[in-house]
Amino acid sequence: MKRNVRLFAVVACALFAFVFMGAENAKGEAIKAKIGVISYITGQGAAYGEAITNSIKLARDEVNAKGEVLIDLKIEDSSGKQEQALAAAQKLINSEKVVAIIGPTLSNEMFAAGPEANASGVPIMGTSTTAKGIPQIGKFVFRNALPESQAIPAAAGQAVKKYNIKKVALLYGNDDAFTKSGFDTMKEVAEKLKLNIVTIQEFQKGQADYKAQLTKIASLKPDAVFCSALYNEGGVILAQARKMGLKVPFVGGNGFNSPKVIEIAKDAAEGLIVATPWFGEKKDPKVQSFVAKYEKAYGKKPDQFAAQAYDAFHIMTNALKAAGTADRAKLRDALAATKNFQGVLGQFSFDAERDVVMAPNVLIVKGGKFTIFN
Amino acid sequence: MFLEQLINGITLGSIYAIVALGYTLVFGVLDIINMAHGEIFMFGAFVGLLIVSKAGAPLPVAFLGAIVVTAAMGLLLERFALRPLRTRPGASHLASLISTIGVSILLENVAHKIFGSGNHLFETPFAEISFTIGPVTVYLVQVVILLISLFLMVGLSLWLSRTRAGKALRAAAENLETAGLLGVDTNRMITATVVIASAMGGIAGVLVGMAFNYINNQIGLSMGLKGLAIIIFGGMGSVYGAMAGGLILGLSETFVVAYGSSGYRDAIAFVAIIVILLIKPQGLFGQAPAEARR
Amino acid sequence: MEWLNPYHLQVASFVLINAILGVSIYVTLSTGQLSLGNAGFMSVGAYTAALLSTQHQVPIPVGILAGSLLAGAAGILVGIPSLRLSGVYLAIATLGFGEVIRAVLINWESLTGGAVGVPAIPQMGRVTLVWARDRGFSPESLGLQSNQFISLTVFLILLLGTILTVAFFLRLSRSRVGRAYAAIRLDESAASAAGIPITYYKVLAFSQGALLSGFAGALFAHSTSFVSPGDFTYHRAVEILVFAVFGGSLHIYGPVFGAAFLTVVPEALRAVSDYRYILYGILLVLMMVFRPQGVIDPALLRRFRRSGKGTPA
Repeated sequence: MKRNVRLFAVVACALFAFVFMGAENAKGEAIKAKIGVISYITGQGAAYGEAITNSIKLARDEVNAKGEVLIDLKIEDSSGKQEQALAAAQKLINSEKVVAIIGPTLSNEMFAAGPEANASGVPIMGTSTTAKGIPQIGKFVFRNALPESQAIPAAAGQAVKKYNIKKVALLYGNDDAFTKSGFDTMKEVAEKLKLNIVTIQEFQKGQADYKAQLTKIASLKPDAVFCSALYNEGGVILAQARKMGLKVPFVGGNGFNSPKVIEIAKDAAEGLIVATPWFGEKKDPKVQSFVAKYEKAYGKKPDQFAAQAYDAFHIMTNALKAAGTADRAKLRDALAATKNFQGVLGQFSFDAERDVVMAPNVLIVKGGKFTIFN
Repeated sequence: MFLEQLINGITLGSIYAIVALGYTLVFGVLDIINMAHGEIFMFGAFVGLLIVSKAGAPLPVAFLGAIVVTAAMGLLLERFALRPLRTRPGASHLASLISTIGVSILLENVAHKIFGSGNHLFETPFAEISFTIGPVTVYLVQVVILLISLFLMVGLSLWLSRTRAGKALRAAAENLETAGLLGVDTNRMITATVVIASAMGGIAGVLVGMAFNYINNQIGLSMGLKGLAIIIFGGMGSVYGAMAGGLILGLSETFVVAYGSSGYRDAIAFVAIIVILLIKPQGLFGQAPAEARR
Repeated sequence: MEWLNPYHLQVASFVLINAILGVSIYVTLSTGQLSLGNAGFMSVGAYTAALLSTQHQVPIPVGILAGSLLAGAAGILVGIPSLRLSGVYLAIATLGFGEVIRAVLINWESLTGGAVGVPAIPQMGRVTLVWARDRGFSPESLGLQSNQFISLTVFLILLLGTILTVAFFLRLSRSRVGRAYAAIRLDESAASAAGIPITYYKVLAFSQGALLSGFAGALFAHSTSFVSPGDFTYHRAVEILVFAVFGGSLHIYGPVFGAAFLTVVPEALRAVSDYRYILYGILLVLMMVFRPQGVIDPALLRRFRRSGKGTPA
């Protein structure tokens, strides 16, 4: 009995302190808010989560330095597993009481965590979740990740025109939601452009050897290969393809547009075509400043995952400023009203369904770096 | 294309065979599956990578380094994760299985900590050299892999059948207790088995780096599962079974991709297990099962 | 009810699902059969429930029932040919089965959606809330917010499922069936000689385990509202195994404890989440070296019962 009373007293004191702290904030100038981040920090895809988390931390430092908004970041690891993403979301929403969540990294995770955030009235924004149907989960679910359905038609269309492509081979990772949905779009685009699909080849994650698939593709002599892969596999595929004499243009999806592809494939990456909202070499002061800052802090160039996360954080804090207070519902409304935000990815707006409105650049790898393709 | 795919399949198959040999040796003597074997193989690949790409040393040094490191890992595995279970009364084979699963999880994540999660380039100095025989292009790397694998397989078979140590190992594999009664130092034999098996895993790791040019910390898992499939298919404890099984799997996977649907490539290994277990449970080269092996 | 934290309820819910999974492998283990295919059976249950509820608007309880039964049937199909296998052979064969199922899930896109998975599965809590609201009930009347109500509902449903499961199998272990299982486990030939129909009991245990895995899978689908082939990999099969082996493979409380401990500890260890799996691996080895029968064994339980009244809850 005594134990219970003591416990109650402690909890009561904690609650009082919390309330008073809140009251304190209302007086100050800066808006103080806790933002949760669910990221793929440990596990196979940790490289992606790392880029995202790094960027968000960088952006947080920038925003806090300015002083109008003070963000306390709560970062949780989901290891790319949806149950962990769900538990992380619950923790952030109910224990940490964040005002909004950025993440999770994978579409799979978002399908589990998104509905929960939506039901709890917490805005959640995916920076890398490009599968179909994500913003449609609910009105609290947003994303600023340019979906394949917008990127691929741009890249493929331009490539087909420039190289007069008639026959195409499709190659994709069939055990990953991201690459699979990229493939779905590629197939649609190829059909729409009335291309002759000579073969469709699949591979699985973690495979180190693509010779069988590539040999088959080479034997059918396509004019180009549409490949939906993440950069880890994509770089290797390019290297092995070039090595065996498959020299035709490769058109890649979202996963390919990372400088890491060039790192992994080196010369083999020449001629790779991708569409991306992120172009690190753009002669834009915002872009260059971000690249410089990121490289200085983390020793490597930022890729699309990093850039999208960076913009996402700024979109979030911008909306927070517009909302005027760290209130979940008001933040959601402010987010939904975001129009023509100028970020490192260019101009950004949410459409009526909280999905991305953004113009992709089509790039080609020339001389070891991404350049504009025209 | 057929010939090229054939070469692809044989190259792949010989590497599978080496990995399977590691499993089969341990199973033959200890009656357990070392679930950490795949991860040890992966470490071998990374050690080879560090030596070749970072230290710029020649390939033979990479093999040496991989052998040393993986042998040491096998030693530690046997000493700390397996031997204590042998001396315990009431510990079942299940316990060794779990123990090695624990080691494999540990190794997989330690590798992740040390090497990161992406693909790493394994540069072989003579990677570009190839010969063209008729319509077919054969790479020197593939030839070297095949030769090394053959050498290992033949060497192992000879060692097992001709040398005293090899015969002692076969005796221990046949029946540990009896071998002990006959004067074989069973503890040493067991340690030697695990060390040799692990070293073979290390060699296979370097071969994989040479063959595919890219390694990551997940190759241990997939290779491990396939190795298991191979020894069941070929017969657990059978050296010939491991070799034959490895080649067959390598060729099947390559041809299914070439002529069938590449989506089912990884499932082939497991379909093969199920088929063989229904038709001939002891595996292609396995001995007829007297009683249930636990 | 400020203290009712949906996060804690979420973790508790996962504990319960894992407990059922742990029991599923324990059941087959109690006849001496080690099945590593329970991730595959779990996926059968999960996908059946998911597809029925999303594509055919089947009510959740019916879907869960269908998923469990289908998984159980699959268990019979796998169990019969597996009869002649034992020990490690059986373990790997069942592991292979699990991988084949996963390959089918990935490749049979027209049915399963492939790697993209099945999103927007009706979630038990949210559906219940809507159902209750339609009848004029509001969670505020109980002093609960919506999300607390949702999490609490899911937790209670799972608690019921787990209690029923454990109670059923506890009773089973004391019945003739349970004694047959134990006899088969200790010495199959002797049991056969004593007239016990081995085939029947082994297949029964196998399919019971499969059914439970499917049951857990269906519950999983309706708790996380999304399933994909990646949820049912080899890693999951190993996880389930570890619940039983770590928690205790000799008594049904073992896997329940194992599931609870191994679900809560990684959550609590979020602070050292980077090293989570490394610690996990070391823990497995240490357990096997120092206490291979698992934490909970009959001897420990007897000690608890004897010290009975003084033991704090």
